[in-house]
Amino acid sequence: MKRHHAVVRVTHWVNAIALTIMVGSGLRIFNAYPAFARRGETFCCYAFERRPMPASLTFGGWLAGARNWHFAMMWVLALNGLVYLGFIYLHGEWRDLVPRRGIARDAWEMVRFYLTVRKDHPRQGKHNALQRLAYFSMPIVGIVAVVTGIAIWKPVQLSPLTNLLGGYVWARYWHFLAMLALVALTLGHIFMVFTVDPYSIPSMITGKYREDLSPEARNARPFVHLLPTATAGAPPSLHSSSEASRDDVPPRL
Amino acid sequence: MTSPRDSDTQASWVRLAGQTHQAERLGIDRRRFLAASGGAFGALFLAACDSQGPRSAQAILKFAEEKNETVERALLSHTSMNVPRRSAKAAGERFPSYFVSRQVPVWDESARGPWRLEVGGMVAKPLQLSLADLGSLPRTGYRLDHFCVEGWTAVAVRTGVRLSDLARAAGADPKARYVDFQSFDDNYHESWDIESAMHPQTLIVYAQDGRYLNPAWGAPARVYSPVKLGYKNTKYLTKIMFMPERNGGYWSDRGYEWYGGV
Repeated sequence: MKRHHAVVRVTHWVNAIALTIMVGSGLRIFNAYPAFARRGETFCCYAFERRPMPASLTFGGWLAGARNWHFAMMWVLALNGLVYLGFIYLHGEWRDLVPRRGIARDAWEMVRFYLTVRKDHPRQGKHNALQRLAYFSMPIVGIVAVVTGIAIWKPVQLSPLTNLLGGYVWARYWHFLAMLALVALTLGHIFMVFTVDPYSIPSMITGKYREDLSPEARNARPFVHLLPTATAGAPPSLHSSSEASRDDVPPRL
Repeated sequence: MTSPRDSDTQASWVRLAGQTHQAERLGIDRRRFLAASGGAFGALFLAACDSQGPRSAQAILKFAEEKNETVERALLSHTSMNVPRRSAKAAGERFPSYFVSRQVPVWDESARGPWRLEVGGMVAKPLQLSLADLGSLPRTGYRLDHFCVEGWTAVAVRTGVRLSDLARAAGADPKARYVDFQSFDDNYHESWDIESAMHPQTLIVYAQDGRYLNPAWGAPARVYSPVKLGYKNTKYLTKIMFMPERNGGYWSDRGYEWYGGV
């Protein structure tokens, strides 16, 4: 049984590439006017007006190059997103991602575990509560990024949409904030993959995943129990998988 | 952190199970793991290092630009009008000035004779219009947003003549699908699709904020339309040519999107 369907794996990596190029080229476009204020006005809500982003984070070389990349890759990003959302809707994967009842409590337990207040990893299904929230918000923020992007691409031909978002200046600001949120979610995701569950990387490439190396089995939090221990991989005869015998596992800090 | 007692316990578990350490079996150690992840990040970072991307991608980008033009043309409607937000302040004197010549282009009457705007190409009656002639044609004014390709906007009142009115006056051929706007700002020009040129908010502007254009803003006349990005709106106009084919443009020939619709 594969952990991730081939469609999910392919769309994941297409999205990773498309998003990287969209953010890099978007920052290069932003640097052509690294501010939000209309000419002759000031903008209330951005602390770094007229300070460009570091060139090393940008992609496209110059404004026209970045725009050409941005307006080509936007189709890849949006269509890939539609394929992904359509697939998880029809194939049922959405059930692993939509927040369940008690998600707030479960998420709080994960936070307590990560802060070492709680010793044992909360029980989870495919994803823990924090992952669920992150993977559920990602497409929503993605949709916000696409819609705000369309609004600043066509502020005259699609002026009702742009006006709904508060006009061009605000739509551009929402587009920027959506980008920041996507970057934050992505960086958090990459950090957690590498510090908590690097064994899930093959599951996003070949689909294979070893449940005995899951963060729950390793009782793993960032940087802690990163390497599998004998307990995690030991034959089942050595310790029962029943709930009661979980206490038999040596306590870890 | 694992307490000494824990590692002892774990070691005994390892012996009991008679197995090598999981990490060894998997061939993963911390160093290799860090090297691999570092390499992946490095590759991403290099790719993003302000480069223009692979040269082979240029054909794909060109293809995407053509497809985008199809979408943009389909979206263009003569009934969608730009109305700046009521709260937006006019840029006034802070409206940016822009030209490609080394100095502000000023029409030199003593050297070139009186300025005339030529309306030509595929027209029944070519026109040579002085500023006074333009002023005597039906006047249209709008308070409009200016959308610069760089991402800024500015509000100004633009007053002039609708290009569609000029086209009618000159008897433009319906077979002319493109319009080229030429200037005396070096060789600056930009050509447009006829549909954008005939939009009711596409004006041959001679006044901004109620005053005749000053040289910094494109005097004596310029084209202005909110349906096109700033760079498509040629200033310092000399000729408006109705054409059967597109004729590129100053920035369009240098890598910017030719259509440049808003």
